[in-house]
Amino acid sequence: MLEVKNVSKVYGQETTKVVALDNVSLKVNSGDFIAVMGPSGSGKSTLLNIIGGLDRVSAGEVILGGKRIDNLDENALVEVRRGKIAYVFQQYHLLPSLTALENVLLPLTFCGISNRTEKAMDILKRVGLDKRARHKPNQLSGGEQQRVAIARALVNDPELILADEPTGNMDRRTGREILSLFDHLNEEGHTIVMVTHDPEIAKHAKEIVVLQDGKIIEKAKQEPARPRQRTGAR
Amino acid sequence: MKLYQMVIKDVLRRKRRVAYAALGVVVSVMTVVGILTVAHAAQARIYNQLEKYGPNLIVMPAISNLDLRLGDLMLATLTIGENYIPVEKLRHIRQITDDEIRRGLGINNEGNIATIAPKLYTNTKVNGMPVMVVGIEPQEESKIKPWWRVRDGDYLNAPDQALVGAMAAELLKLEVGDMIMLTDGNDVAVTGILEETGSNDDYLIFIPIQRAQQAFGKQGMVSSVDIRALCNACPVETITDRINQNIPGVRAVAVKQVAEGEMGMMEKLSKFMLALAGITLVVGLFGVLNTMISSVHERVKDIGIMRAVGASHGQIIKIFIYEAIIIGILGGIVGYIAGTLLAYIIGPLIFEGIAIAYVPQYLLISLMVAVLVAVVAAVYPAFRATQVKVADSFRAL
Repeated sequence: MLEVKNVSKVYGQETTKVVALDNVSLKVNSGDFIAVMGPSGSGKSTLLNIIGGLDRVSAGEVILGGKRIDNLDENALVEVRRGKIAYVFQQYHLLPSLTALENVLLPLTFCGISNRTEKAMDILKRVGLDKRARHKPNQLSGGEQQRVAIARALVNDPELILADEPTGNMDRRTGREILSLFDHLNEEGHTIVMVTHDPEIAKHAKEIVVLQDGKIIEKAKQEPARPRQRTGAR
Repeated sequence: MKLYQMVIKDVLRRKRRVAYAALGVVVSVMTVVGILTVAHAAQARIYNQLEKYGPNLIVMPAISNLDLRLGDLMLATLTIGENYIPVEKLRHIRQITDDEIRRGLGINNEGNIATIAPKLYTNTKVNGMPVMVVGIEPQEESKIKPWWRVRDGDYLNAPDQALVGAMAAELLKLEVGDMIMLTDGNDVAVTGILEETGSNDDYLIFIPIQRAQQAFGKQGMVSSVDIRALCNACPVETITDRINQNIPGVRAVAVKQVAEGEMGMMEKLSKFMLALAGITLVVGLFGVLNTMISSVHERVKDIGIMRAVGASHGQIIKIFIYEAIIIGILGGIVGYIAGTLLAYIIGPLIFEGIAIAYVPQYLLISLMVAVLVAVVAAVYPAFRATQVKVADSFRAL
């Protein structure tokens, strides 16, 4: 469903040039769960941003569902973000003035859809936060905020979920809960690309891609190690 | 949830920042409303102040004495018949004048509006010297000549009194209390002597008009009528034309120099006010622009989030414009109230004894101006907001 072909990304000018990605190619198939690993500055977040059309490539192609998206203008990229791709960030990135429920409804608001409160409540229930729907982000714990962010990502039924260190700000226990939520989503058929530097987390994925200095140095498929108990849907 | 609902929630959270942005609008609207309200209340007073120019309309008999003058020096009087205006026509003149003013100002009040001062000129001899005696309506005349100051004694307040011009008093050696014998054999007492005015009035003797008509056998007649009629919506020329067309036997002449001077002054005054208001608006606009730009900087992350979950450029602009409209409505209402209060405070300082009244229509103007200013000020910041790169917005934080 998604293909990254010979993508390079260079920041800065001649003298201050930083190569963030160097001729990277990657294929994501429907139902995949790919963990992108690598040390800080290896270019893994840049790769995720480029896949999602948040950042521009310096060279190469990004193809989503058979169509190039690397050369789309802003308006066309908006369409991609509205339906096909959703993000989950390390910092949750919820709007502080809106309640959990309203944050989940936000993508629909931008699509011009209102009156979908029921659907949003259903999704909040799936991530175990229906009782906190009327709370503002600052009244929620980190784990709860990330659940809201995941619910927000799901509300548009995206084909691909991109997650950038989604458990990076959490203690182990909360992190495990969030991870099992991703496991569960993947089992339901959602395609996931997740950036992480933690090998424990990467074990949940079906494929591991390791980046170093902007190059893919390792690609390996694996049997995902997923705990039996499901703490995701409390 | 609709987009505007999201904006309202956001505005409610950032109350202080929004209030700060609205402050720029409040100050501008306050100044504009303050100026307008004071000007509105002061209009009548400004016209009063303008009366120092004297009459701006003179009605004479269609055929009249022809004064041969060189400046203020009268060389000779060429009399062509002895024509007067019958008193009955005064009522007609007043009716036309008041009518035009009422129409021009859009008012309905009964009673007299224009100042109409009829005069009867007669040549006579006092102490053996030729002098001109003028019959006047004391009240009207003092309104039309506010520069008159009585040097000795009092102003006319009884029928058998006379007011003497400064030069006439000197030449005729008249003092307060002296008696002047008129042609019918009856006396009038000198009740006051005018300060020098530098005009013909210095050489004249003024007595109440009824007394003059009686004394010189000119019952029911006047020589000319000075009229002071002014409102910005009814040019003196219109009144002149109507009098000339409707009343036979008289000739109305607009004192162009005076009329044009007055209109020019009103025009300058309102131009000055508008310029002042305009400058304030521009200053307010930059105030709002500034707060809006820092609001964009503050919300780079929020904008990035909104872009990431599907907001288009147009929607980002809408968000800022909606916010500007809220700021405009808030600023417009508060600015109207503040401006009206300001008028109540500073109005009396500018024009003594002025009665300030709030003008409800200005609320609508305030709202329109405020929303316009806020929206115009929001355009550039909103454009800046669309330039936020999603990836950068997160990296920066």
